[in-house]
Amino acid sequence: MRTRGRGIILHVLVVTALTLMASASAQVNPLAPEKAFRFSARALDPHTVEARFSIADGYYLYRDKLHFAVEPAASGLTVPSLPNGKIKEDQFFGRVETYRGNLIVTLQLQATPPGQRVVVQAESQGCADLGICYPPNIQRVTVALPAAGSAPTPIDEAPKKQWFK
Amino acid sequence: MGAAAILALAGGMALAVWDRAPRDASALFSLSLPDTSGQRQSLSQWRGKVVVVNFWATWCAPCREEMPEFVRAQREFGPRGLQFVGIAVDEPDKVVQFAEELGLNYPALIGGYGAIELSKTLGNQLSALPFTIVIDRTGTIARTQLGPFKTDKLRSTIDNLL
Repeated sequence: MRTRGRGIILHVLVVTALTLMASASAQVNPLAPEKAFRFSARALDPHTVEARFSIADGYYLYRDKLHFAVEPAASGLTVPSLPNGKIKEDQFFGRVETYRGNLIVTLQLQATPPGQRVVVQAESQGCADLGICYPPNIQRVTVALPAAGSAPTPIDEAPKKQWFK
Repeated sequence: MGAAAILALAGGMALAVWDRAPRDASALFSLSLPDTSGQRQSLSQWRGKVVVVNFWATWCAPCREEMPEFVRAQREFGPRGLQFVGIAVDEPDKVVQFAEELGLNYPALIGGYGAIELSKTLGNQLSALPFTIVIDRTGTIARTQLGPFKTDKLRSTIDNLL
């Protein structure tokens, strides 16, 4: 009986310890924003770039906080209207739209000579379901536009985070 | 593995998380930031109280959701020496509007995006919001919290320090 009693105590201690560990790791669990909102871009043809956000499970981006730009500015970027998001009623801001999962936006570059390299910049702002929000974050990807008639290039990932404007 | 070793391990992990944040709040108390009327407020005026500094923004829904609880806690514990101070990573007009809607009963200082960098030096490694720091009467950081502060944890933390 004595052994069994000690076994129960040990069991309780192990469960307590595991719970403590779990709560300790919960503190460091949220993803860094560039991992939660992974940005990539690739050229589809000499005048079209496909920009993509891979949004981690449990994270979301705000539609009206999403902005794209291309350098050099003379590339003649036209941003299409963004896809509809999931509508959420916000007590302070009213109707807001959010994206989860994969978001793909096709950017048209009207004035880029084929074969040029462009920097695609995406500014985004999002939150996690566990109750935190990240400030606006800028990510950049360099895309080499193909010469006319060649196949799409592999996806370029945003190399590192860059905060603020 | 012995029970003591397991407990020590769990304790060690908790400590490892804790140790990343500085314990001294002097950097905070040396600050002065504009309030919603544009007046600069020095944080040192609240030294000696139990001070809860909350980094927040109107664009952060989880931040807004926990603030009514902060208003209640300020009302209830204020007379015993508790002072909430909000530092908004935001634009003044939005802060003013939200503070009025909520009936905020503690100072909302305007930190702008620079306040994120400040919070990073205080242990907010992910630069995310809400981020809350509880400082005891001696100016030592007693607790930091990324994400919403659970009501019972907030109240017991404050109550123990007062």
